[in-house]
Amino acid sequence: MVEDVNENTTVFPGEVIKDVKAVKGVTILGPGLKRNEDPPNTLRITRAGKLQFKPPNIYWVSHNHKRYIPKRGDLVVGIIVKKAGDSLRIDIGSGEYASLSMLAFEGATKKQKPDVQVGDVIYGKLLNAHREMEPELVCVDSYFKAGKMGPLSNDGFVFTVSLGLVHRLLDPENPILTALGKVFPYEIAVGMNGKVWVNGRNTKEVLTVLRCLETAELHDDKVIVELCRQSK
Amino acid sequence: MDEVKLRCELGVLTRPDGSVLFSEGETTVVAGIYGPVESKINKTLVEKACVEAYFRPKSGLPGVKDRLNESMIRNVCEAVIAVALFPRTAVVVVVQEMQNNGQLISCALNATCLALLNSGIDMKCMYAAVTCFLDRSDSIVLIPPADEREIKGSFMFVFDSVEKTILASHTEGSFSIDQYKDALSLCREESTNIFNFFKKALTIK
Amino acid sequence: MSEQYKILHPVKYYRDYLAHNIRPDGREFDKYRPIVVNLGSISTADGSAIAKVGRTTVVCGIKAELCQSKAEAANEGFLIPNVELPPLCSSKFRPGPPTEQAQVATQLVADILKNSECLDLKSLCIFPDKLAWCLFADLICLDLDGSLIDACMIALMAALKSVRLPVIDYDPALDNKQANLEHRKPLNITNIPSSTTFAKFDDKIVMDPTVDEEDLSTALITIALRKNELCFVHKPGGASVTDEQLLKCIDESQKRAIVIEGIVETALRSLQ
Repeated sequence: MVEDVNENTTVFPGEVIKDVKAVKGVTILGPGLKRNEDPPNTLRITRAGKLQFKPPNIYWVSHNHKRYIPKRGDLVVGIIVKKAGDSLRIDIGSGEYASLSMLAFEGATKKQKPDVQVGDVIYGKLLNAHREMEPELVCVDSYFKAGKMGPLSNDGFVFTVSLGLVHRLLDPENPILTALGKVFPYEIAVGMNGKVWVNGRNTKEVLTVLRCLETAELHDDKVIVELCRQSK
Repeated sequence: MDEVKLRCELGVLTRPDGSVLFSEGETTVVAGIYGPVESKINKTLVEKACVEAYFRPKSGLPGVKDRLNESMIRNVCEAVIAVALFPRTAVVVVVQEMQNNGQLISCALNATCLALLNSGIDMKCMYAAVTCFLDRSDSIVLIPPADEREIKGSFMFVFDSVEKTILASHTEGSFSIDQYKDALSLCREESTNIFNFFKKALTIK
Repeated sequence: MSEQYKILHPVKYYRDYLAHNIRPDGREFDKYRPIVVNLGSISTADGSAIAKVGRTTVVCGIKAELCQSKAEAANEGFLIPNVELPPLCSSKFRPGPPTEQAQVATQLVADILKNSECLDLKSLCIFPDKLAWCLFADLICLDLDGSLIDACMIALMAALKSVRLPVIDYDPALDNKQANLEHRKPLNITNIPSSTTFAKFDDKIVMDPTVDEEDLSTALITIALRKNELCFVHKPGGASVTDEQLLKCIDESQKRAIVIEGIVETALRSLQ
């Protein structure tokens, strides 16, 4: 049983956290936690990992996953696996394929549909992700503008990294991507589902990004920044 | 009394979502978890995930004996995974036997527990499986006797990590009720060591 | 009304009954269904029996064949059980290769036989490394209504008890065998192992569950005994049980084992 919540305590499924901090009776729970019915005001851990707490009332368990579980609002990279009438089936690495309507692209109408083929890579947003339903992707925001979303160029390269690394890369303060950018220019789309699309001036540079992210899986940010500095 | 030596290596395989190479004494298995993934249409359950277990013997094709191991692995996993969170999906558990020195089922079950923890799938609790042996002199030991003929019977228990109640039980040979009770209490003591080992293995990472 | 209720809310329907300490078929928690055994039903088999536990019906036929024993166990014969669950017994099964449930049942029956040492395989050997009896015990379920293993064990043990093997005169020098069909001998069965199945539902444990109870239950426990010794305690996962619950199950299965042994013995006497 975990009595006091310290940052970075390793917790295991079945353990119970007591004295949960709440603001006006509200506690925000992230992945890996479930509310306990009895005794009240306790949480039950459902994953092994490090317990994290962000004052005043946010709790979650961090764990380096490989399998993506869709969450509403996540920006993901997916691959078209099937075209069926007006909808596309996209592999986003979760248990089920996501669906993407042909009309959910900027400027698409019944007559003018986007030119996408099976095998193309899509950067989109999860409109709907509920465990009882199939996930639904869109490539437009609520103003019907694409922004950065839409099909990604076929010149790029897609690979999969662990979800822990994705969370690190997407942290605005993380230095890895900026440090790499100082060495050579490249384009990157990091999906919350662990799929990463990279495009560069030539194959060698794309592979350098790939190698760099593979190294980042095992080492911390400083090592990568140091490597980038040396290669300049 | 000597302890059964436990060793593990997490994340040995790149393709599965969670994997482990686990050995208990001389017995070794590799376990991998895929999940939640799309399930076969005829096995899909509307209200929860279905657990599929595959047990591969070290040589040849799986036989009737392996079906029993599969059914135990499946039933135990079903009890601990939070299956209600992933309806219409499947969780695939694959165990490959590498070497068997008597504790095969408990080793396979412990390996699946570690692989599940490694994959990060939501679980209600952890579990630990312990095997002990009854030798010809009627004493109950954790380490399998060197000579197979010395074994009169063996007991395997699976305990959950929260209340330490019995999740599964499997026995071989015949024995008295008192011997069964003794084996139960010995295994329960040993299960604490296994839980500690699991915790240590996952904390180091 | 209750029929519709049962279909719409099976779990609640069952829970309501259990709250009143009774089961839908009128039994209390620790009561088992009537057991019926009939011996020698199949005249072409070397030994046969039909066992009924409530509505669960299992036919066991034993066929004896002569064969060569295995090199690693030269002085032993064979006893090979095989449980079949044909489409006839339940709507769950379709024609085709044996289902997982049938294979698991086969393995459990084989394990109980091995653990109980009720039949010494050495007694099936006629001449070491040359000639031995191979007994094929085919167990066919005609009606599946829960507690399959229990019914299989009763049918199998009754059938084994009724086996009469002809005496074989074997001349190893000439490899000449002569069966003496007039002179038949029973097998040397040292004990009658019997099993009892329990199902856990919520916090309650019921004995000898029907198929509906098995489907609703969260865990099954099978306990096999020979005389006063345990020879199999099998709980393949599912919801956890406490030590007290498990020991109580062992206690109750002990009482039932005596009854089952009595029934098999009585059936055997009626045959002679």
